[in-house]
Amino acid sequence: MSQEYAVIGKSVPRKDGWDKVTGKAKYTGDLKFPNMLVGKILTSPHAHARILSIDTSEAEKLPGVKAVITHEDVPSLKYGISPARWDENIFCIDKVRFVGDKVAAVAALDEETVYKALKLIKVEYETLPAVFDPFEAMREDAPLVQEEYPRNINTEIHQNFGDVDKAMAEAYYVRTDRFKGQRTYQSPIEPHSAISIWDKDKLTIYSSTQSPHYFQYYIAREFGLPMGNVRVLKTHIGGGFGGKLEPTGLEFAGAVLSKLTGRPVRMFYDREDMFAHNRGRHAQFMELTTGVDKDGKILAVHANFVMDGGAYTSLGVASAYYAGALLTIPYEFDNYKFDMYRVNTNLPACGAQRGHGHPQPRFAFESHLDNIAKELGIDPVEIRLRNARKSNTTTPNEFKVETCALTEALEKARDLSGWREKKGKLPSGRGIGIGVGSFVSGAGYPIYRTDLPQASAVIKVNEDGSEATLYSGSVDIGQGSDTVLCQMAAEAMGYVYEKMRIVSADTELAPHDFGAYASRQTLMSGAAVKQAGEEIKTQLLAIAAPALGVRAEELDCREGIIFVKANPEINRTFGEAAREFFVKKGPLVGRGVYHVPKLGGKFKGAAVGTSPAYSFAAQVAEVEIDEETGEVKIAEVWDVHDCGKVINPALLHAQVHGAFYMGMGESVWEQVLFDAKGKIINANLAEYRLPTALDMPRLHSDLVDTVEPNGPWGVKEVGEGATTPVMGCISNAITDAIGVRIDSLPLSYEKVWRASKERKRNTSGE
Amino acid sequence: MARTLTDEQGVKRYLVNLKVNGDNHTVMVKGNSLLVNVLRDELDLTGTKKGCELGDCGSCTVLLDGKPVNSCLVLAVEAEGREITTIEGVAQNDKLDKLQESFVNNAAIQCGYCTPGMVLSAKALLTRNPHPTETEVREAISGNLCRCTGYVNIVKAVMAAAEQE
Amino acid sequence: MYLPDFEYYQPNSLAEACRLMAKFGPRARILAGGTDLLHKMKHGQLEPEVIVSLNGLERLREITYQKGVGVVIGARATHNDIAGSALLQEKYRSVCEAAHHMANNQIRNVGTLGGNIVNAVPSADLPPILIALGASVKLAGSQGRRVLPLEEFFTGVHSSVIEPDEILTEVIIPDQPSTGSTYIRFGLRRSGALAVVGAAVAVTMEGETCREARIALGAAAPVPMRARQAEAVLKNQVITPDLLEEAGVCAARECSPRSSIRGSEEYRRDLVRVLTRRALQKAIKEGHV
Repeated sequence: MSQEYAVIGKSVPRKDGWDKVTGKAKYTGDLKFPNMLVGKILTSPHAHARILSIDTSEAEKLPGVKAVITHEDVPSLKYGISPARWDENIFCIDKVRFVGDKVAAVAALDEETVYKALKLIKVEYETLPAVFDPFEAMREDAPLVQEEYPRNINTEIHQNFGDVDKAMAEAYYVRTDRFKGQRTYQSPIEPHSAISIWDKDKLTIYSSTQSPHYFQYYIAREFGLPMGNVRVLKTHIGGGFGGKLEPTGLEFAGAVLSKLTGRPVRMFYDREDMFAHNRGRHAQFMELTTGVDKDGKILAVHANFVMDGGAYTSLGVASAYYAGALLTIPYEFDNYKFDMYRVNTNLPACGAQRGHGHPQPRFAFESHLDNIAKELGIDPVEIRLRNARKSNTTTPNEFKVETCALTEALEKARDLSGWREKKGKLPSGRGIGIGVGSFVSGAGYPIYRTDLPQASAVIKVNEDGSEATLYSGSVDIGQGSDTVLCQMAAEAMGYVYEKMRIVSADTELAPHDFGAYASRQTLMSGAAVKQAGEEIKTQLLAIAAPALGVRAEELDCREGIIFVKANPEINRTFGEAAREFFVKKGPLVGRGVYHVPKLGGKFKGAAVGTSPAYSFAAQVAEVEIDEETGEVKIAEVWDVHDCGKVINPALLHAQVHGAFYMGMGESVWEQVLFDAKGKIINANLAEYRLPTALDMPRLHSDLVDTVEPNGPWGVKEVGEGATTPVMGCISNAITDAIGVRIDSLPLSYEKVWRASKERKRNTSGE
Repeated sequence: MARTLTDEQGVKRYLVNLKVNGDNHTVMVKGNSLLVNVLRDELDLTGTKKGCELGDCGSCTVLLDGKPVNSCLVLAVEAEGREITTIEGVAQNDKLDKLQESFVNNAAIQCGYCTPGMVLSAKALLTRNPHPTETEVREAISGNLCRCTGYVNIVKAVMAAAEQE
Repeated sequence: MYLPDFEYYQPNSLAEACRLMAKFGPRARILAGGTDLLHKMKHGQLEPEVIVSLNGLERLREITYQKGVGVVIGARATHNDIAGSALLQEKYRSVCEAAHHMANNQIRNVGTLGGNIVNAVPSADLPPILIALGASVKLAGSQGRRVLPLEEFFTGVHSSVIEPDEILTEVIIPDQPSTGSTYIRFGLRRSGALAVVGAAVAVTMEGETCREARIALGAAAPVPMRARQAEAVLKNQVITPDLLEEAGVCAARECSPRSSIRGSEEYRRDLVRVLTRRALQKAIKEGHV
């Protein structure tokens, strides 16, 4: 079997490894252009205020300042994810809606001057009553964050599948639990930056972006330019995790500043700006009611959720739908009801963070399911095995799942972790827990309404056949897509990985692709790349055949050698044949395109959660709790994934490590905190605590094999799915250790301390 | 102490000699110029990254006389006379240091933004302690935040490089 | 972020440094490691017009033993200088450990003992253990020098008895009767986290009897504080687990922590109880200072 493929399935080193390890790799903020200025955005100090006046005259007088702009200098067209919810302006016009809302911008010769100039802009505000709690925001008398959303309800969802009431009535046991999530932030280590160069009728923007295409679309729309006149590209990007998926004010403001000054302008966020801009994970308030039969088989689920969306829609309408849509994936049940209110508040807007909308509901559900299992006296692994989804099934909300090895993953995680020997037998202060997760391998519908294909790719073989270049609009944000797609291209072409080059994430040089979000690239971009590679191979075999005295169908090509299948001794090189092709027919080019087949039902919101394929994971964690201080130590973790065919095992496991890491941080350590006036009080990496190397447990990443018919070579996603089980898994392990459930994230040391203390008080009182 | 010169706006400038990766550079800086900015903006050594600017993330780590420091919290004038090593000084004549090679071979790199700082912190450790325990490795890089890797393969890479000693 | 403009001086002698500080008064600030000062300046919390750097005063980094005086640690010694000092490893391992577990490696390579003290934040890690060991600080000013117990140095959050023209030059740990000492900190992650509470103790044991105990707490009050009532509980008593718990309870009662982003007052108080008890257990058991 290992010989089935020559290039994929191997842990080849990353394409960008050398550059990144030597410091040669240039990120957007490292680039320099002649005559370049530096720019920054002035943000609101108030959570809700009317702008009475803006006086930029003092700032303009500061030596080194080249331009100061406000809403009067930029288009007033609103933008956002969907036409019904275009609610954000480049700069606020009449009022500001959160601490950090965009008000003005400066371009100057250097960063120091920019900061000084921002302080000289005088904005007169009339503060307005603000609302920070989504439940208060829904009251009739609450101040309106956006005039167009009555009761501040930005998105309202009511979905009902099967007959929930009937199933609940017939259930052996019905349980309701309530859970709270928290606001978290993606916290990529690279701060956002964008360099805009407006040269005559052409606007070029280098940006730290996860989707050059999405940026190009909105930037062109704002400025009334044909998309072809806007080029968006990236160099290296220092992590995104969802936080760099939508254009920030940096691109828009930078473009205008560049146009006004006729010079390139590098706009940047500092760490505090990043937190203020945010677009991190929504805090969700989750009520779950589930009815089960006496064996713990789930009969019906009702998810009744509210999410704090912050001041704008951002990508949040999708987050809201995802929150409920994906709850149906890992376990099989027929009756499902989902109610959701996404509510605007005077806090930074929330958006898509790794696992988009799903990790908190998954935390809630995994915790809830453990509560049910405990009540019924069923082992947590066992209740999951009884409910685990199988291949070739359809969810109540009409998602078709062709491959699912959750059962095998659960069994493997159970066995690897020594679950049977540990559960209920660990010494005091230690606990073990399980959680499952799943995710889409690419969203079934594009990020905005369009008939464009999901992905496309071009491969061009060098004139002398010595190298080939893959052109793909896909975006390597660190996950390694450039590497994986080059492996896929080489496999499809019958070529070698080392001779593959890639030009990606450039709207001008690379063909269209929606970019890095929704865990879509290995499957979707990969499908286009595979097709392009196969087209190369077909053309090459045709040209190579006469010289070998056979018909093209009798040939194959592998690792750069074209050979007669029946007699591999008869062969010639890929390079030589490629050169012959160029001499006789011109450039050897292969093209590929990927459209998602029509997926999903017809109900409102049916599109969100559709995907060609779903990943599955089972995760077990063992924790050690210091009950006197509440300190949590995650001791050891086992993740078993069903992610289809693996293209690069080393990169795949690295995705699991990182996805677990983020989920672990959100479980115990991370939370964006605000003061009473809506200002973030921990907008830094000292008090917003990403775990350090000393906090990480031993982490085992393992796999169960599936081959997904809807993915090229059978691939599915891994990068986001591995975040989804973590919080539930750790919650269940902590509960096992301290004997009591904490229902709100993060499961901080202080909460664990308090819960342990209360439990002791209660048990000693009995 | 560096020689000074006052510019037209009355701001004092200091003539500073910086020895970076073995090369001597003479630069004019202001008193408030930070080492990270001088390295990046004046010397174009952009391998030194800015992540938080407050000493919390370690992206701007450089070695000062062999010891890792956050260059966002060091005044350029104070770096005079010290041996400064940035990530650009780790590979010699385009040959990767064994630690760098180990990062590449162990998939210890993802977005790569923390990588220069990680490599330098680890390099300082291995110079001081060629055979560290895993805990010592974790301690040595615990001032370098990485959002991508969970540190799993970074620790593996450093341990693997140490084993080659 | 950026640093506000300032004029920079790098005196070659302590006398010159004092003269500069006397000249500029409150308009000037001393720069040692800079990890606190530059941090505050970047946040706009401090905008000194003049920076007087101690960078040229290498002698202030020395760690020596002076007979009849004790261990003298120069104020410019970095946290890693302290953590790695062979002299301190031999005489006061507890001080090395306190220095080793604070902040992160990069900060420890730059941040200094003097800065950690003069910055006067309640959560500083070195003052509690130094106070437990009865340390003094030496201040040099244009009018001369003075030595005072570290315990009397702090007057509040970000405030101390130091005059604008004074420079903290050294910390002196006197020879001890103590048989054991330790510092335990509790942070919200394992590196790069300020202490939510820190407890330092120095005990003088005679067999099973505690002749004297000095307990100093960090982040438990506006200034590093002695837990004198807890100390009294232990004085001349035979040590039992219950007695140590009682000392912890006592310390928790007499401290006055505040609620903050890192922990509620109630949580901190209980941590004081636990950490005090654990620190006492450790110092008694390990039997070295």
